[in-house]
Amino acid sequence: MDAILQVSHLTGGYSPRRPVLHDISFEVKAGEMVGLIGLNGAGKSTTIKHILGLMKPQTGEVKVDGVTLEEQTEKYRAAFAYVPETPVLFDELTVEEHLRLTGMAYSVQNSQYEGREDELLQQFQMLPKRKAFASHLSKGMRQKVMIMNALLAEPPLYIIDEPFLGLDPLGIRSLLERLVEVKRKGAAILMSSHILSTVEAYCDRFIVMHHGHIIAQGTLDDVRQAAGLSMRSGSLEDAFYKLVTGGND
Amino acid sequence: MRANQTLDAIWSRRSRAFREETLPYFRYMGQSGFPAFMSLILISSAIGYLSLIRQLPADFPIAATGVFSLMLVLCWSPLRTWLGAGDTVFLMPREAEMDSYLRRSLRYTSVGSTLLAAIVLLLYIPIYSQGPAINSGWILAAVAAALKAGNVWGAWRERQMTWSGMRRLMRLLRWVTTALVLAVWLTCAAMQAAAFTILVGLLFLLIHRFPSRHRLPWERLIEEEARTRKRYYVFFGLFIDVPTLPSRIAKRPYLTWLLRAVPYSNRNTFVYLYTASLLRTEIGGILIRLLLLGCLITYWLADAVSLSGWGSFLVFGIFMGVLAVQLGGLRHVHRYSVWKHVYPLPDKQRVDQYLKVDRVAMLICAALLWLFMALPLALSAVYTPTIAAAAGAIFYVAVRPSRLRKKMLADADEE
Repeated sequence: MDAILQVSHLTGGYSPRRPVLHDISFEVKAGEMVGLIGLNGAGKSTTIKHILGLMKPQTGEVKVDGVTLEEQTEKYRAAFAYVPETPVLFDELTVEEHLRLTGMAYSVQNSQYEGREDELLQQFQMLPKRKAFASHLSKGMRQKVMIMNALLAEPPLYIIDEPFLGLDPLGIRSLLERLVEVKRKGAAILMSSHILSTVEAYCDRFIVMHHGHIIAQGTLDDVRQAAGLSMRSGSLEDAFYKLVTGGND
Repeated sequence: MRANQTLDAIWSRRSRAFREETLPYFRYMGQSGFPAFMSLILISSAIGYLSLIRQLPADFPIAATGVFSLMLVLCWSPLRTWLGAGDTVFLMPREAEMDSYLRRSLRYTSVGSTLLAAIVLLLYIPIYSQGPAINSGWILAAVAAALKAGNVWGAWRERQMTWSGMRRLMRLLRWVTTALVLAVWLTCAAMQAAAFTILVGLLFLLIHRFPSRHRLPWERLIEEEARTRKRYYVFFGLFIDVPTLPSRIAKRPYLTWLLRAVPYSNRNTFVYLYTASLLRTEIGGILIRLLLLGCLITYWLADAVSLSGWGSFLVFGIFMGVLAVQLGGLRHVHRYSVWKHVYPLPDKQRVDQYLKVDRVAMLICAALLWLFMALPLALSAVYTPTIAAAAGAIFYVAVRPSRLRKKMLADADEE
């Protein structure tokens, strides 16, 4: 499988003297869902900002679809869709106008656009709200709009930061169903979340971050092994707890 | 008593904080050409006013002018409360003590709007005296004072109303009632006018008893305060970069067809976004109001062929300038948007598409304004000012994009 996202020896942060991320390396392959987990302040959002190109690496590099941002800006940006932790919408646009804007930005064919728009609105129970302005939506609905926008673009890579915050149970189910579907079609997904049971159930591999370092990565067994647990014993949450507390109860 | 003093202190502290926060922006405004521009408008308006009262045309609509101008200043009843979103947590538990806080707000804002009404009345009385002047100026002043008090009370009761639809209906009723009472006092004898006013006043009081009301409309007051602050910053934004406050959105469904007219294609992504922002944010709202005012004044001056048509030319130029400055604010709207960086579109394309929206909007404004000048002047067979205005507007619309592009590049460098 090809790696859609490659992060190599990335060190970065807000100040050169105090980097937040320390030499982190990982990749996400096509058809794979990877869970990025860690405590608050572990460096998950900073990692995502580096991938988005909102922050510049101090050392190391980030490649999306085989290119860095500097090499081919448009190819790099067209290769992923992003769902931020806090919904960032344009207050002056309605739900369907957001989808239209995304369709235009990601060059979704007009013929495909209308079908996808209706399907997404229906799947996320947003048909009655299609003409509502972003400012009139609840937080969960705003998050649904963000998710629908990402899914509309159908890019090779999805970067999803805490997608379940504020979502209702039906919304969570729809999102997970769609993620499984796009993964089956060959998309790569990097998902950051604190809901470890869901991450464990849906992700193929895991990256555990702590104080800006990757302290474990790989399959559930790899993470268990790094935590000092025996194979096939204990959940992701058990392993995570051991890793971040150093095994002290 | 002690608690009251504390709320009083909160009010004073917030009022002082707002003054201190906005003072530097007023300084920037002072350093710009704006005071000179306003002085120019003031002087030209004063000259126009003096020549009008010296030679009032026989068919001048004295009563209509009085009703329109006095209604605007008497009905306008703003309220500064300095309340913010956090107050539903911190001040709401003290709602029972909020009366003195709000009384101070009412006093503070009523003084300004009453003063404005007094100035307009003083300016109107010389015009009124040249007509039949059925009632004396003193009576008019007393009526205006009573109407102002009624409007301040009515506006407060509207703020308390639970349902927005009812609030809008009652506001419309208050404006219409004020206009009717003014019309009666300007055209009828005092006894008849007084009887009508008492009747309408009682009816108004009666109607206000029915709608469901909040004791203290926290959300509405917080929203109103946020809107007022936003307006200050939109104004300051004309002179200097200002902090981004959440923008107030108006749906303006009658303009949605313009957004739908933007073709669905990648190269129109930012045309679509900037068009939506222009149509639905405060910038668009101010632009529309300015354009309507500009068209009206240009038409009046062109229709009267004032200064052989050059009066309307001058106003055309002034409004083009103001509209251009206002429209320029659009470039700041998505300045800090994360999507600008995330969307797979080169920044140059964003700038080009922004300039396209700006050019089309400027052309539409210029064309409409020009028509309200050109048509009345053409009927009087005056053409030179119209041609000069068209040439000036075409030149400006042609050079504006390169100037804006430079500004946007400078903005990008600063970021």
